[in-house]
Amino acid sequence: MFTQSAALESVSQDVFFEVAAFLNKEARLLDEERFEEWLGLIHEDIHYWMPGIENRRRENPLKQGFYDKDHMAYFDDSLRDLQRRVARFRQPSAWAENPATRNVHQVNNLEAFIAQEPNTYEVYSTFTSIRSRGLDEEYVIYGRRYDTLIRTESGLKLLKRLILIPNATLSCKNINTFL
Amino acid sequence: MSNIIKTLDVTERLDNLKQVCDLDEGRIAGEIFYSQSIYEQELEKIFARCWLFVAHESQLVKTGDYITTTMGEDEVIVVRQKDGSIKVFLNACPHRGNKVCFSESGTTRGFICNYHGWSFDTAGNLVGQHESGIYEASEFDKSKWGLREVAKVDTYKGLVFATFDPESPSLQEYLGPMTWYLDALFDNQEGGTEFVGGCIRSTYECNWKIAAENFVGDILHAGWTHDSAARAMLGGAVAKVSDFEESYSVNWNGHGYEFALDTVGNVAVLGESKLNRYIHTIKPSVAERLGDFRSNMIASVSSCTIFPNFSFLPGQNTVRVWQPRGPNKIELFTWVVVNKSAPDDIKEMWRKGAMMTFSPTGVFEMDDGENWEYCTKTAKGRVTAKQDLYVGLGMDTFMEDTHLPGNVYQGQLNEANSRAFYQYWYDLLSAHTWSEVPNRNKGKVEAE
Repeated sequence: MFTQSAALESVSQDVFFEVAAFLNKEARLLDEERFEEWLGLIHEDIHYWMPGIENRRRENPLKQGFYDKDHMAYFDDSLRDLQRRVARFRQPSAWAENPATRNVHQVNNLEAFIAQEPNTYEVYSTFTSIRSRGLDEEYVIYGRRYDTLIRTESGLKLLKRLILIPNATLSCKNINTFL
Repeated sequence: MSNIIKTLDVTERLDNLKQVCDLDEGRIAGEIFYSQSIYEQELEKIFARCWLFVAHESQLVKTGDYITTTMGEDEVIVVRQKDGSIKVFLNACPHRGNKVCFSESGTTRGFICNYHGWSFDTAGNLVGQHESGIYEASEFDKSKWGLREVAKVDTYKGLVFATFDPESPSLQEYLGPMTWYLDALFDNQEGGTEFVGGCIRSTYECNWKIAAENFVGDILHAGWTHDSAARAMLGGAVAKVSDFEESYSVNWNGHGYEFALDTVGNVAVLGESKLNRYIHTIKPSVAERLGDFRSNMIASVSSCTIFPNFSFLPGQNTVRVWQPRGPNKIELFTWVVVNKSAPDDIKEMWRKGAMMTFSPTGVFEMDDGENWEYCTKTAKGRVTAKQDLYVGLGMDTFMEDTHLPGNVYQGQLNEANSRAFYQYWYDLLSAHTWSEVPNRNKGKVEAE
């Protein structure tokens, strides 16, 4: 299980507001399929990681409890990997994206702290991703995110994201979005 | 012997199978993907009888290492024994049937039921209960109430298979000459293979056969279905399979392997030039080990299903089981396989590469899922379910004169393996005993 590395100081109200606006905008860009603009929020050194969740007994934990950095993952991406995923969405021959999947991304339970590295923030949130395809398909994925945001000359960027879902079995066939 | 699983009283055979499946004519009907009564027959006559993949030996290194999985819809525990052997038990307490192991993997000295405290050692023996004295008063014979053990467990090159049916043929006979082809992925280097850690599980609303058949011999879909993924990963279209000078579809007992001899076509779609180089680097040693022919297969455009539901892609190195969960639902269990002797950075590239391509977030797999779900869902319509579906490509492509083992057909763009898969399915559903299953193999058992 992820635990905070040290007792960190909360950010100011102004920064909190800025971080919330960043995450809300990110969610809206994904809902609106504005993937190139979404990539513009991502730092070039991004580690975008969603490990597979393993159902283990408490006395038999993995390195990080119920996940492990060396084990299989849903995302374990660099910027190049994220760009490749976006490139597929943009192909006219991405048959399973037409008609479009309709997305709603929600972000909740926001906390923001001043991180130990300069110009960075540790940001925790919960999320709900609701997708619908066709006439009646609906898929809901929810979980917790542990983000590191960094302030650059061109504004806040996402430097690290750890996505933890509670499910050891994904209840749908794919994740054709970002979380 | 009391802990052997009782064999099933097989229900009456279906009388309409010929209507939904005629492989000589090259047709099936969508009903086989949606019918509840056909599905119930499959659980008894296929999943309770065939050899099913349950684990890779690398998941069970030490005594007491275990994983849990399912054989059909039956939950099982696969556990390494003190003597190095592997046992497979029903994951159900012989008292009230509660699950005795709730975790997917780990290391243990035994299993304890949460309900009444029945406690079992890793060999499945009942070794104690809560309030054990009252059992003694009822002259309870502990030796008769251990975990129920499957009929047979056997391995091939690290792959662990089990069957519930004591009458089933040996694993060797079941796999037949397919093992010659399995070696191209599972025995191409000294030390064999291992699974990288973890298992990704996802849920499809499709019939298990449509997925298994896709891997048994349907490379035809790749150039069309996966065009977007190939362009994303490679910046261009996937290799045009009809351009390959030499390619084959080989089957045996419903298993099928389709392949080209282009060495790197599958691994190339991972978009990591280091992996292509690794394949080229090991190729000479594979040629020494397995011969030139199979050294061209190690990561070529290819796929395989071992009947009924174990599949893999050489090169992408994804290994998977399509677990049946009703006629129109599966749970897909996936793992990544690598050569044990491969350098760590190569193993790591395969872990990520399989995720990027063939996983619930994989750019290739995303376009498969919707196809398979709607091949299944359209059969909800009673009229649609009765319509013939064409599975007739390559009817006259059997190769009489070949040095290759198995039932060998010319060309990958061929539905010979799909027909053989459905034929074996038909034969098993129609047979009360293994001796009633007709032998339709006409190729060589051994390579020449």
